[in-house]
Amino acid sequence: MGDAVPQLLVNGIALGSAYALIALGFVLVINAVGAVNFAQGDLVMAGGFVAVIAGEALTGRLGGGSAWTGVLVLPLTMLAMAGFGLLFSLLAYVPLRRRPPVSVFISTIAVGLIIQHAANAGFGPEPRIGPALIQADALRLGPIALSVQQIAVIGAAGLLIGLTGLLLTRTQLGRYLRAAAQDPEIAEALGIHGARCIAVTFALAVALAGAAGMLLSNHFFVAPADGGLFMLKAYIAVTLGGWGRLDGAALAALLIGVFEVVTAAYLSYVVAEALLYAALLLVLLVRPSGLLGETIQRRT
Amino acid sequence: MARNRSFWIMAALLVLPVAAALALGGYEQRIMTLAGIYAIAVLGYQLIFGRLGALSLAQGCFFGIGAYVTGLAGVHLGWGFIASFPASLAVPALIAGLVAIPVLRLESHYFALATLGISQIALLIGVNWTEVTGGANGLYGVPGIRIAGISLFSSEAMLLMVWGTLAAAVLAFGALTRGRRARRLALLRESPEAAAAVGIDIGSNRLILFVASAAFGGGAGALQAHTIGVVSPAVLDFQIMVTILAMTVIGGRGHPAGAILGALLLAHLPEWFRFLESHYLIAYGTALLVAVIIMPEGLAGCFGRWLSVRDPTPPEIKRPVPARVSEPGGELRLCNLRKTYGGVTAVDGASLTVAPGRIVGLIGPNGSGKSTLINLATGLQGQESGTVHLGPVDLSRSPPHIRARAGLARTFQSPAGNANRTPLESVLAACPPDLTDEDAEALAMHCLERAGLEHLSGKPAGPPSPAEARGLDLARALATCPTILLLDEPAAGLAPGERADLADRLKRLAAEGLGLLIVDHSMDFLLPLADRIVCLATGTVVAEGTPEAVSKDPEAIAAYFGSRPT
Repeated sequence: MGDAVPQLLVNGIALGSAYALIALGFVLVINAVGAVNFAQGDLVMAGGFVAVIAGEALTGRLGGGSAWTGVLVLPLTMLAMAGFGLLFSLLAYVPLRRRPPVSVFISTIAVGLIIQHAANAGFGPEPRIGPALIQADALRLGPIALSVQQIAVIGAAGLLIGLTGLLLTRTQLGRYLRAAAQDPEIAEALGIHGARCIAVTFALAVALAGAAGMLLSNHFFVAPADGGLFMLKAYIAVTLGGWGRLDGAALAALLIGVFEVVTAAYLSYVVAEALLYAALLLVLLVRPSGLLGETIQRRT
Repeated sequence: MARNRSFWIMAALLVLPVAAALALGGYEQRIMTLAGIYAIAVLGYQLIFGRLGALSLAQGCFFGIGAYVTGLAGVHLGWGFIASFPASLAVPALIAGLVAIPVLRLESHYFALATLGISQIALLIGVNWTEVTGGANGLYGVPGIRIAGISLFSSEAMLLMVWGTLAAAVLAFGALTRGRRARRLALLRESPEAAAAVGIDIGSNRLILFVASAAFGGGAGALQAHTIGVVSPAVLDFQIMVTILAMTVIGGRGHPAGAILGALLLAHLPEWFRFLESHYLIAYGTALLVAVIIMPEGLAGCFGRWLSVRDPTPPEIKRPVPARVSEPGGELRLCNLRKTYGGVTAVDGASLTVAPGRIVGLIGPNGSGKSTLINLATGLQGQESGTVHLGPVDLSRSPPHIRARAGLARTFQSPAGNANRTPLESVLAACPPDLTDEDAEALAMHCLERAGLEHLSGKPAGPPSPAEARGLDLARALATCPTILLLDEPAAGLAPGERADLADRLKRLAAEGLGLLIVDHSMDFLLPLADRIVCLATGTVVAEGTPEAVSKDPEAIAAYFGSRPT
């Protein structure tokens, strides 16, 4: 069993880093429009199916077994999903932008339902396998065997998280996005185009969901009904990590992934799920405003 | 008249579908039975989502628990309907009561997640506790309903049974949301702070509705189990929750007619979209999306004017105002109050006294802790140390609604104002619950008058202007029959004429025996009005005395008047 521990941890970190991408997209939307995107999990699933299609198309063109298929599929999936994110915001957010956040919550439930059952109609309920990011044999370090594919997933997810961080903190676009999220009115007054910032945020958030869908689609397969659990993990990560905090959400998502894989290996997946929900309820019981608290103080 | 119309519309909505189904027979009866079952669950969901405005994602879970209780009691214990149905109401209600304490105080997005987490746990138990629940296969052979030896196994009998239960549920819904309770719930939904400040017990109101909603859900689940004879984990699936939510949003979340309309429509949707086969849920999602975008009030909202029980003509009130309006009470004593936010000390050992019949002006620069002091006095925020007394009563640790009932009222800097209620209804929400409806209306009219809004008493619902919202806030505060009234910047944004008018009114209130604490920035408003001025700086009282004395006090000048005296 001891030799399996490193692989277990790698698997956990790989799952957790994919969760972190989902959670990042989830928080970006929360910060930009103040609403929960209940369809985030279904968008992950959609990304998985886009990766399946792109993978099949590229395999046909490049010839089977090309090591580069997965590396090409990832950016293609993200690009397609970014476009889909714009469409998504036009459907689920733009018509409701002057309504209370709960309306957007409901509209995203509706769009999530449409995506899920459209995928069901198009692909059937059976799980499909997406392209591997990298085709390679296991990495052997003495008695320890590590899956290169999983390490590549961690690398790709880490790179995307890092790039998102750089985009938000080091570029003018990122500064616009954060300004518009922090205070839309002041940002507008400073000449920042709020609606455009929100559209870009949705594109980015959905692209990240799509990336996570692609990265998960090989090891875990992808099926139309998968979305709900991805969304739940992201929602829980955001609550544990501090509502609205990007770093907290990513870190919490990583920990959830590791916890899930390790608990599932030693006990069972059901126990892992149950413990996660119990932990969530316990945190909300002890800290009704989230583990790290919210920064917003309401005025009376 | 309007009340009658509403009654007849509800009666028609309950009778016509049943009559149509009986006429059309077989298949339509089964769909209509399903619609009735869901309408009961949706009615319950309207209590929590419509009346409280809380997006619960546990209604589907309560539905499933009710179904499982009926299934387990019928299959394993051999219980009949007479025993299993009450249990199917009680178990979800009990679970709701247990989780309510931690869950109901959560902010909306955490409340949604917590209720979703509870549903997930229930689903895990339903699927995995195989010995009891039958696991993924579920429980087969749930017995049909038999009451007093009469079997209700035929589809006609089941249809009548379900819609009869629905009629009872509509009555129960009415009892839970009748009259002034509806006004109080509206204020609570719109602004919990404002509700607590007029003496509405937020916790118990939320608890009652949440527990009731769970019982409605459980009852619907029980009927579903009897109807199809099988209970499987599908009843705990999120799909049920989405169906209930979609029916509520499409039908309308506010009026019981919406529950029936939404359930009728969505129960038939799979029929109308038969060409989508099992993918009719795409149509569900589309209908939900379209509804939330183009009819925020749902189908019932489109017929809102018909369904409204609101009388368009203002009540003619010639009754004397109830005697309690202004009993002079004890003085308010705030002693050494202290409050910090992280490292910032907002209120640092402030003390002050407001005596009945006197006006105290509270001044101080921005951020000196004036609003926080009012929040501490009324209990909206908790102090770290110090005490609050009203007369002989120690209110230091009392929740806001207890302080309000003890006679401590307040107004807000940015008052709640709702477009969906008439000004009179808005004030009625604040009248003491033990008054009769007639007395409450008389009191509400009297308070509108004292707040200078008598011209609004017959005004229909509509968005109040900022000045009206402020006046309504004052009228609501007065309707709680306070002895001490704390006003947070009542003159902000008023024109000079309106200010003078407000000053006269406030003087009259003091002459009635009310003690007033007025926060304001404008010295020309406050100095001639107040008997005493208290000056706050960085959370501490730096000067106190007559207006003349404080306006000359070097500490006060340094802290507030600065280099630009007004």
